[in-house]
Amino acid sequence: MHRALAVVISVLVLTMTASPALQAAEKVWSGLVMAENVAAPQPVPSELTRIEGLLKKFFGYNEFQVIGQSQKTLKTGQEDWLATSKFFGLHVDARGETPGGYVLNLKLYKEKELLLETEAKLSKRSPLVIKGPQVGGGQLLLVLVVQ
Amino acid sequence: MKTFEEKWTAWLDDQLSGRELSEFEASLPDKAAAQAEKAEAKKLGGLLRRELSTHPLKNEEFFSHQLRERIVQESGGQRRERARRSPTSSWWTIPRLLWAGTGSLAVFLICTVLVMRQERPAEESQYLTQILNARVDPVVSPNATVSIFEVKQDHATVLWTEGLQSLPADYAAK
Repeated sequence: MHRALAVVISVLVLTMTASPALQAAEKVWSGLVMAENVAAPQPVPSELTRIEGLLKKFFGYNEFQVIGQSQKTLKTGQEDWLATSKFFGLHVDARGETPGGYVLNLKLYKEKELLLETEAKLSKRSPLVIKGPQVGGGQLLLVLVVQ
Repeated sequence: MKTFEEKWTAWLDDQLSGRELSEFEASLPDKAAAQAEKAEAKKLGGLLRRELSTHPLKNEEFFSHQLRERIVQESGGQRRERARRSPTSSWWTIPRLLWAGTGSLAVFLICTVLVMRQERPAEESQYLTQILNARVDPVVSPNATVSIFEVKQDHATVLWTEGLQSLPADYAAK
């Protein structure tokens, strides 16, 4: 009786202590996306299919092209990385892990000029879309997704 | 008036004396056989007294014997009672186990409900990405504004900027 109770408690404790370790090492995809309205739109890139409906509905464009991207595996939650296109750069600085995701500092550069800075708690289940500057007839979007 | 048997018994016990003794002995048909029988009876009596006599209990011994019996009875009863109440032998009875299990389950459910109630708002805020702060360069885009939309239907958060500096189409290059 006591032995069985001890086994049950041990299993519970091991499960509870092991789960944070299992949650570690997740990938964050960050992309610079050009949204445009064209006559013959290309299919949405696979990284964006999850939020295709949101992008089309919210921004009113029918084509989305990735012009720069980066995929980073977060191990400590303190990493930083850069997603770049020819003229834009998105610097992502992870500043720690929270129970539901990561705290990120984001900076959008046009060449060396800082256009926008924001700090966000990126949820593992909730993508972040940032509306950037108007570029020609289209719109620059910044997308961050925990994969 | 004593019967012959009474006188015989008294004669055997040497209880007759005087005239009564002489009259009784004169009435015996065979005095020698009677004397022999008397001697036998005395011998038997002596033997019986020697062999079968029980040691009579003195008053204090009898009392202490009774007391010991009473103590034995009572201590036996107490042992049985103690055994009935003993926690090591019979505490985990089936009904007690059932009660303990039901009680534990009830406590667990109450705790779960309380914890879930407390954590629900936090969970919702953790579920959607949160914008902690946002700013645009006031020199480059002096009229820019920032808005935040939590699109719960698509489980996404949108940071909406207005008034950022527009750029030519060349900037869309990969």
